[in-house]
Amino acid sequence: MLLCVLGGYTAFSAGPFLWVAIMSLRTTSEISASHYGLPSPAHWQQYVTAWTVSNYRTYFWNSCAVVVAAVALTTVIGAMAAHALARYRFRGNRAILFLIFSTIIFPAQITLLALFQILVKYELFNTLTGLTLVYVATQLPLTIYILEAFFARTPQDLFDAAKIDGSSELASFWRLTLPIGRPAIATAVIVNFILLWNEFLYAVVLITDEDKRTLPLGVQKFMGDRMQDIGMIATGVMIAVLPVIVLYALFSKQLIQGMTAGAVK
Amino acid sequence: MREARTAKRGPWPKHAPSSSPPLSVAARAASLLRSRPGQPPWGVIGTLLTPALFVYAGFTAYPVGRTFYNSVHLIKPGGVEQFVGLQNYAQLLSSDLTFWRAVVNTMIWAGVAPLLDVGCGLALALCLYAGVPFARFFRVAWFTPVLISYVVVGILWMWIYNYDWGVVNALLRAVGLGVLARSWLGNTSTALAALILTHLWKWAGFNMVVCLAALHALPSEVMEAAELDNCGWVRKTIFMILPMIRGTLIGLLILSFVGKMKVFDLVWVMTEGGPLWATETVSTYVYKRAFGWQTFDLGYPSALATVWFLVVLAFVLGLHGLLRQREPLEY
Repeated sequence: MLLCVLGGYTAFSAGPFLWVAIMSLRTTSEISASHYGLPSPAHWQQYVTAWTVSNYRTYFWNSCAVVVAAVALTTVIGAMAAHALARYRFRGNRAILFLIFSTIIFPAQITLLALFQILVKYELFNTLTGLTLVYVATQLPLTIYILEAFFARTPQDLFDAAKIDGSSELASFWRLTLPIGRPAIATAVIVNFILLWNEFLYAVVLITDEDKRTLPLGVQKFMGDRMQDIGMIATGVMIAVLPVIVLYALFSKQLIQGMTAGAVK
Repeated sequence: MREARTAKRGPWPKHAPSSSPPLSVAARAASLLRSRPGQPPWGVIGTLLTPALFVYAGFTAYPVGRTFYNSVHLIKPGGVEQFVGLQNYAQLLSSDLTFWRAVVNTMIWAGVAPLLDVGCGLALALCLYAGVPFARFFRVAWFTPVLISYVVVGILWMWIYNYDWGVVNALLRAVGLGVLARSWLGNTSTALAALILTHLWKWAGFNMVVCLAALHALPSEVMEAAELDNCGWVRKTIFMILPMIRGTLIGLLILSFVGKMKVFDLVWVMTEGGPLWATETVSTYVYKRAFGWQTFDLGYPSALATVWFLVVLAFVLGLHGLLRQREPLEY
C-alpha cells in the first residue's frame, strides 16, 4: 500500500521527464497525432536538426563558455576568501562572512536594475563577459559559505607544522588548503555549475542578441516563437537537461550535499 | 636562547626577531606558533580577500545602493535623472492596483507553499526513514526535479496543463470526469494554484533530502527506547521526531518562504503573470515595469524592488526571531 503511494509519487516526479524524453525522439506531426505514443521509429535526427538548424549549438556553447568561466572564477576567488576567513582570526572576520552570506536572501531585483545600468555604462551589456561577471557575484556567497565551513575544520596543527618547515602563508593555501579541501571544492563547483546552467532571470535581462543566448534563454525564446513545434521544443529541452542529468548520475552525493548546504546547519 | 626566555616572561615584542641566527629550531617554532594568536598577517589576509570584496562591492553592494538611489529619481535612458523625492513610493503604495494584486498573489504563494513544501518533503523523508525498499532509487528520483531549470519545468508543466492533450485533462477524461477538464493556466481561478503545484513538484525533493539528513542524525538510542516502549510510528513522529528536528523544519520553512517571495522564472515562462494578473508576482511586475511596458523609467521599478527588499528582510528577521527555539532540546 505504502509502496503504491511512493510509486505514484515517483511517477509524478519522474514521469514528466520520461514523457519529454520520448517526445524528443518524435516529430511534431507524430506527436500531434498521438501525444502519448512511443517513438517508433525513433527520430534521432531531431537532435541533429536542433543542433544545426535550430541554433541550439550556439546556445549550448554560449552556456558552456559563461558557466565554465564563471564557475572557475567563483571557485578561485571564493577559495581564497574562504581560506582567509577560516584560517585567520582578525577583527571583522565574522562580520565579512555574515555580510557576504546574508546576500543570498536578497531578491534579485534589488541588484538587477542597477546591474543593467552598470553593464550598459561599461559596455558589458549584452555580452557574455558581463553575464559571467554577474554570475560570479551571484554564486560567491554560497561558494564561500560551503568552503569556509569545510576549511575551518582542517586542523590548525597542519598549518603550524608547515609554517615551522618554512612554508609561507600563501604557499600553505596552495599546498594544504586546496588539496585537503578538494571534496568541498568539488561540491561547490558542481552546485555552481548546475545553478548557473539553469539560470534564467539575469540572462533574460542582460542578453538581447539571439547569438548570445544561453540555453535556458534559447529554449524559452524558441518556445515563444514556435509554440506549436512541440517535437523540436522537446528536443531542445533534452539538450538543456542532459548535461545536468549526466552530472547528477556521476556526482549525486556531492550535488545533494551542496544543494542542501545552506539549509542544514 | 636568551631572547626566547625573555619573551616567555614579558609580552611578545612587536617585531619578533625571528631572523636572528642564534635561535634554535625549537625556539623558532615556539616563536612562530606564539605569533599566531597575536598580530594577524594583514598582508596575506588582504591579498586573499580583495578579489571577493571587490566583486561584492562592485556587483552587490554598489548595485543595492544604486537601486536605493534610483528609487527616488526618474531615470530615463540617455543619462536623464530627475530627483522626485518619495513620489515613486507614494504612487506605488496609494494608487498602483497591479502592485497590490502582485503583493496579494505573492503573499498567498509564500503563505501556502512553505507548508506544502516542507510537509510533503517531511512525509517523503519519513517514508524513506521507515525503511521502504528501493529507498536509494526513490531518493535519487525524487530529487531530480530540484536540478532542472525553471524554463524546462515551466515548459513541461505547460504541456501537462494543456487543455486539449495535457496529462491532467487526459487523466480526468479517462476516469470520466471530463467535465472538470479546463485550461488550467488560462483560467483566473486555477492559474495560481497550478503554478503553486508546479513549484511544489520542483522543491519537494529538496525538502525531503534535508529532512532525511536531519532524521539520520537523530540518536538511535532514543529511537530504540521508544520502540521498546511500544510507541507507534504516528506517536513517535509527533512526540519525538518533530520536536527533535524542529530547527531543521523551521530553517526549511524560512528558506521556502524566501524563495516564494522572490519567485520569477517559473511565472515568467508559464504565464507571464496572466491571465488578467492572476499570477502576477512582485518580481514579474518589477521586470515588466522596468523592461516590458516601454515606460523607459527605471526609478519606479527600483522603488518597487526596494519596498519588496525591505519586506522580505523584515519577514526573515521576524520569522527568525519568532520561530527560533528558545530552549534547544538536549539529546
